[in-house]
Amino acid sequence: MLLIHCPYCDEKRPEIEFAYGGEAHIARPLDPSALSDEEWETYLFIRSNARGRHHERWRHIHGCGRFFNAVRDTVTDKFETTYKAGEERR
Amino acid sequence: MSSLSVSTSPLPDEPFAADGVRVSRSAALQRYSLRARDPAKLAAVVGRELPGRIGGVTDGIAQLGPDEFLALLPVGTQLPSGEEEPVSVVDISSRAVGITVEGEGAAALIMSGCPLDLDRMAPGQATRTIYETVEMVLVRESETRFHIEVWRSFAPWLWQSLRLSAE
Repeated sequence: MLLIHCPYCDEKRPEIEFAYGGEAHIARPLDPSALSDEEWETYLFIRSNARGRHHERWRHIHGCGRFFNAVRDTVTDKFETTYKAGEERR
Repeated sequence: MSSLSVSTSPLPDEPFAADGVRVSRSAALQRYSLRARDPAKLAAVVGRELPGRIGGVTDGIAQLGPDEFLALLPVGTQLPSGEEEPVSVVDISSRAVGITVEGEGAAALIMSGCPLDLDRMAPGQATRTIYETVEMVLVRESETRFHIEVWRSFAPWLWQSLRLSAE
């Protein structure tokens, strides 16, 4: 079982307590109605689908309940780091 | 209202025991969910000290998250509602029921379905976690005694599951 470091609880907790939340650092457009269909499609559906280093959101749903960001290698499935939501991309 | 807010338990009255562990229904409790971005404001509203970190328990109040606390208090305890303050104080007495697991084998029994390493959980700690697929709040009251808070509708399943694991 993977152990994931929760930056809020500040300890490694079992993977089963967490829920995956998709790619991180995707900001919702401030004025969606000003966007073209292509731009809206890009925001909604187009993801980097990285092979290797990937920024993603996780939620410690069966723990402190908080969303946070993580950098995980999609090839080795190893977590490089985790950090609180709202912090700079690492 | 207070007599209605603590209703009967869905769990059997009789405890069960096996192999150095005893599992019993806990006495009724007054439960509050406390939320606040600024814990200092919450502490002022409820007039109690709050634990300073996630996992801590003081005065019957456990800190589950950065802004989330669970108060487990004797039946009849009333906390102020904190009107007009940026806090949330909600009576959730009937949402969960308590299960007490005690004995030398208590930690081993809980670890049969809970992925936490309880050897690293000190007495006086509390956390939300999971048992198989059921979410619960686990409070370690002493080396050999745990209190489990589980949602009412999940409780009979958890009880049965603990019973099967104990056997």
